[in-house]
Amino acid sequence: MFRLSRRTVLGSALAAPFVHRVRAAEGMLTLAAYSGIFEDNYRAAVVEPFMKANPGIKVVYYPAGSSAQTLGLLRAQKAAPQLDVVLFDVSVAKGATDDGLLEDISDLAVMKDLLPMAFTKGVAGAAGTFDNYVMLYAPDKVSPAPTSWKDFWNPKFKDRIAITAPPDIVGISFTLMANKAWGGGDYRKSVETGLAKIAEMAPNVLSWAPAPDPYTFIIQGQADLAVGWNARGQIYSASSGGKLAVAIPTEGSLFQINNMCLVKGAKNPGPAKRFIEYALGAEAQKAFTERMFYAPVNTKAQISAEALARTAATPERMANMLDIDWLEIARIRDGMAEQWRRRILTKR
Amino acid sequence: MRLPALLLGPALLVNLAIFIAPMANLAALSFHEARPSGGVGPGPTLATWASIAEDEYYIELVTGSIGVALGVTVLTLLAGYPLALFIHRAAPRWRNLLMVACISPLLVSAVVRTYGWMVILGDTGLVAAVLRFLGMAKPPRMVFNLTGVVIALVEILMPTMILCLLAGFGRLNASLEEAAASLGAPRWRVFMRVVLPLSLPGVLLGCLLAFVLTVSSFITPKLLGGGRVILLATEIYDQAIVTLNWPVAAALSVLSLAVFGLALLLYGRLLRMVEA
Repeated sequence: MFRLSRRTVLGSALAAPFVHRVRAAEGMLTLAAYSGIFEDNYRAAVVEPFMKANPGIKVVYYPAGSSAQTLGLLRAQKAAPQLDVVLFDVSVAKGATDDGLLEDISDLAVMKDLLPMAFTKGVAGAAGTFDNYVMLYAPDKVSPAPTSWKDFWNPKFKDRIAITAPPDIVGISFTLMANKAWGGGDYRKSVETGLAKIAEMAPNVLSWAPAPDPYTFIIQGQADLAVGWNARGQIYSASSGGKLAVAIPTEGSLFQINNMCLVKGAKNPGPAKRFIEYALGAEAQKAFTERMFYAPVNTKAQISAEALARTAATPERMANMLDIDWLEIARIRDGMAEQWRRRILTKR
Repeated sequence: MRLPALLLGPALLVNLAIFIAPMANLAALSFHEARPSGGVGPGPTLATWASIAEDEYYIELVTGSIGVALGVTVLTLLAGYPLALFIHRAAPRWRNLLMVACISPLLVSAVVRTYGWMVILGDTGLVAAVLRFLGMAKPPRMVFNLTGVVIALVEILMPTMILCLLAGFGRLNASLEEAAASLGAPRWRVFMRVVLPLSLPGVLLGCLLAFVLTVSSFITPKLLGGGRVILLATEIYDQAIVTLNWPVAAALSVLSLAVFGLALLLYGRLLRMVEA
C-alpha cells in the first residue's frame, strides 16, 4: 500500500525541481575521440544520426589530440570520470584495461556481429574502426607511383621525405615496415635491420616531426613522400584536388585498430551502451566507411564496392597485411623510440 | 606581526596554492616509477632518477640544452646590443618610434613568427633564393635542424634582449665618453672601458632572460627542429603527452627548474661583482 505521509509529500515537493534535470542528465553522454578531420566526419556519419534516432540523448564530443591524451584524461579522472565512451588506439586501450579504467561490455548484443579481429585478448571494448598504414606521395612529383617501401631509400627523394618519428605509432609502424622490406625477419625478435636501414636514410629526411601533419606537408609541396593512415589519406586525396595520393607498397601494410570502450564508473552507462551499440552497428559502420574509408568492423555492414575499394578491407590487401600484435608493440615501443633518438634523429 | 609582513600574506597564500604546491606534487611524482603503457607505480623510489642519471642520453639532453641556450643567448646579445645602443643614442623624437619598431614583434605570437621563419628559411624561401642568386648551387638546409631553430630563437628573443639593454643604458652618460675621448682614448677603447662596463647590468639581465626563455622554449624547436632538435622542454612534452612516462617528465621538469635556479644564482653573483 502506498501511503502519503507528510514526509514523502514534502520530499517530492523539494525534489521536484531536480527531477527534470536528472532525466536530462540520463539523456546525455560524453564521447572522447580524435579531433580535426576525424571529428568532422564522425559527427556527421555517426553522432548526429544517432542523436536523430534517439532524440532524448545528447552526445557531447570531446576532441582528443591523441590516444595517449585520452588515456591521461581517464587516469586523471579516475575518481570522478567525466567521459563515458572513448575511442582510442588498441595498444593504449590495453594500458587503460590493465589499470582498471574500462568496463567489460562483451555482453552487448552488437558484439556477435563483429569480425573476430575486432576483439583483442586482454583489452576491454571492441574495435570501432580499422585503418591501415600507407605511403603518401605527391602525384605530380612522384611518377610513376611508388610501389615499394624501399623507395624511401632512393636518393632522388633527398630532402623531400617527411616521417613522424616514434614514439608516435606512425614512426613505430615505419620501423616495422622497413624491417620487413629489408628482410629483417620477425619484429618480435628484433627490428635491428629496420633501424640500421633507417639510420642510413636519415640524412635524406626533411622532417621527422612534420607539423601539423604529413598530409599537409605533401599538399603544400614541402615534401614528396610521407607515411600516414589510409582513411585520412583518402579524404585528403579527394579534398586536395589530387595533390596527394595514397599507395600501398607490394611488401604490404599493417592494420591500426581503434577500440571503442565504456569508461569504468561512467556517469551515463545507459546512453553510453546504447551509443556503442549504434556506433558498432551495421548502419553507422556503413555510413562512416563510405564517408571516411575506415574499414568496417561489422560483418553485416553492406559497403558500396566503390568505398570498399578505398579501404584496407579488399581481399588482396587483407592478404598482404603484416600481422601485428599491438600489445607486443606496446612492450617494445619505448626501447624502439630510444633507439630512434640515439641512432636516427640525432644523425646529421 | 608587523603590518607589512601581513600584507605579504595574500600573495604568499596564492603562490603557495598555485605554484609551490603543484611544484611539490611534480617533484613527488619524479620519485615514482613508470610502468609500461603509462602507469605510475607506488613510491617513493629513486628508480626514475637513477635511470636518468645512468642514461647518457639524458645527460646529453641537459648539457645540450644548456649549450644551445648559451649559444642563442650570446648571438641574441651580439645582434641586439648594437641596435639597442643605436636606439639609445638616436634623437629623442626618433627614439620612441625606433623602440616601438624593435619591440613590436612581441605583439606577434612565437608560433606565427616560427612559421614565418619556416617560409623564409625553407628550400624555396627568401634566404635560399638570395644564396642561389649569389652563385651557391645548393644552399645549405636551414629548416628542420638546429640552424633554423637558433636563427628563429635569436630573432624571437631580440626584443626582450633590447628592452633589457635599453633599461641598462640608463646609466650611460655622454660626458663620461667625451672625457675618455678628450684624454686620448680611441673609440674602441671608450667602448670597452666606459660603455660596456656601464651597461653590464642590462647585459646580464638580458642574458638571463634569453637563457631561461631558450631552455624553456618549446614551440620553435618543435616546429622548426624537424624532430632533430631535442631540448628539455620538447622532451618533457614527449614524455608527458606521447609516451605517458610521467615520472621521467616530472624528473626532467625538476632538472630544468634546477637549471633555472643555477642561472639565477649565477646572475646574482655576477651582478654583485659588476656593481661592486
